[in-house]
Amino acid sequence: MDDPISSPGLTRRSFLRASTVLAASAAAVTASLAPLRKLGQFTTSDEFLQKYYKEMTPEEMKVVLARIENEVEHQYGVRPHLRDFKPMNGVEFVYALNLSRCVGSRQCVHACVAENNQSRNPEIQYIRVLKMPNDGTFDLEKSEVSYDSKAVPEAGSFYLPVQCHQCRNPPCVKVCPVKATWQEADGITVVDYNWCIGCRYCEAACPYFARRFNWSTPSIPKEQINPNMSYLGNRPRYKGVMEKCHFCIQRTRAGRYPACVEVCPTGSRKFGNILDPNSEVSYILKNKRVLILKEELGTLPRFFYYFDV
Amino acid sequence: MEPNRKTSLVLAALTAGFAVLAYAFAQVPAVPAAPARPPLVPVDTLAGVIPPGTIRISAAQLASSGGDTSGLNCYACHHQDSPPLIKFDDQHRIVLPKEHADLIFSMRNCVECHAANDPVKLEYKDDGSLVMPAAHQGLLKMAHGRNLRNENCYNCHDPNQLDQLHTPEGAKLKFDQATLLCAGCHGPTYRDWEAGVHGRTSGHWDRSAGPIERQQCTSCHDPHAPAFTSLIAMPGPHLRVRTP
Repeated sequence: MDDPISSPGLTRRSFLRASTVLAASAAAVTASLAPLRKLGQFTTSDEFLQKYYKEMTPEEMKVVLARIENEVEHQYGVRPHLRDFKPMNGVEFVYALNLSRCVGSRQCVHACVAENNQSRNPEIQYIRVLKMPNDGTFDLEKSEVSYDSKAVPEAGSFYLPVQCHQCRNPPCVKVCPVKATWQEADGITVVDYNWCIGCRYCEAACPYFARRFNWSTPSIPKEQINPNMSYLGNRPRYKGVMEKCHFCIQRTRAGRYPACVEVCPTGSRKFGNILDPNSEVSYILKNKRVLILKEELGTLPRFFYYFDV
Repeated sequence: MEPNRKTSLVLAALTAGFAVLAYAFAQVPAVPAAPARPPLVPVDTLAGVIPPGTIRISAAQLASSGGDTSGLNCYACHHQDSPPLIKFDDQHRIVLPKEHADLIFSMRNCVECHAANDPVKLEYKDDGSLVMPAAHQGLLKMAHGRNLRNENCYNCHDPNQLDQLHTPEGAKLKFDQATLLCAGCHGPTYRDWEAGVHGRTSGHWDRSAGPIERQQCTSCHDPHAPAFTSLIAMPGPHLRVRTP
């Protein structure tokens, strides 16, 4: 029985049978995995191996910017001009919003969407305009966000637009487990969309409901893409990452006003450098009655509401 | 032979399993047909974002928005005997000079009816309110402030020279200097405006990077009825996320 010749381990028949089964199963595995090839957008190795924003050298950043420009052009069909704007020296941004003048026209909301390449569907908007009953309350639970007025302002109401308050003590930054969001030297809290893991802790931590999550891949019509893009700002986001108002980094770090300021029909929105004593915001903090939202939480916002008249 | 047979059985079962999987994938389209995703806000609505929601329109805005400038009468302000050089574009519309960037053109030109130096006598009712001349009915709404004393044409217009303005102190002002006239009564607002805090600002917060663009009082306010009328609100948010 132990004679290798009378009982060979491998006969022609067993070899053919085994190899047929193996070939068939290999073919079946390949066939069953075939649909994966059509999934499209895989993370490239370059993207996967990209370094943390703060650890990148300018040369490495240049390579990353070029790569993302190609990705955006491939996905949206528009060649963007993507830059990495750095904070300016001696600048700290502050926002002031005049509650006496705001009429709730929501022009800021849509100018922001257009400027910052926000997803049109599912709809992502950074600014929420709250319609508040003008009966002595400041209870946000009594506000209405989806008011559908024929004409604004409506009698008996005032309007309270809310967006990221760019806190000096930001709870969202504290809770991020991977440091994908941080406060820059000019006061803007930014998100690195390539570093965010999408855990949404920051969304839960923000008391102003200022952070938005991309539940699916953003959809933006080609003709509505704003090609003037910044790395930490308005470049298209990925599925599964957080985003938020960044004071239009691509405009404000080039010395211009944010889109919401430019478009406000009543001039309720004011923006500037608080370290400059001659700026509009310095004048407002000096001369107007100023308040901040949810002061008791100790978030120290850079976003002030004020009254005149 | 027992273990060999077991192996063959397992392999055959796996093969059958993968074959079934492959068949199932072949049945389901690999890329599900993307549901049509219309933009939630029509593009036409967005186009309305850029021009300001103001009541009146400055010459620059009118020209840049492609508005009809053919009805403008330059001689409403300029003297006919020393005419300014008026340029026309290829469609015979007036090309507006830079100096007129902040100048407001009303629907009608006063000099169509009034000679510049022909004062009009105003009439008042018993309660002191102004009788709106019949020719102004429907053209001009007089609603400047809450006091009757404000409803007087000659508070601002010079009765002896209708193409210019005058202050209560008697200083003469051109139409494009109206902001200074407004400042005479609205001091605190003028102070805010000078600081850039009242009214729209656009352009550059960093003055070293570029200019700031300011509006004059009459760019946004109708001097005869300065209170803002209501605006049409842009569409609100769709609170439910639409998923495929």
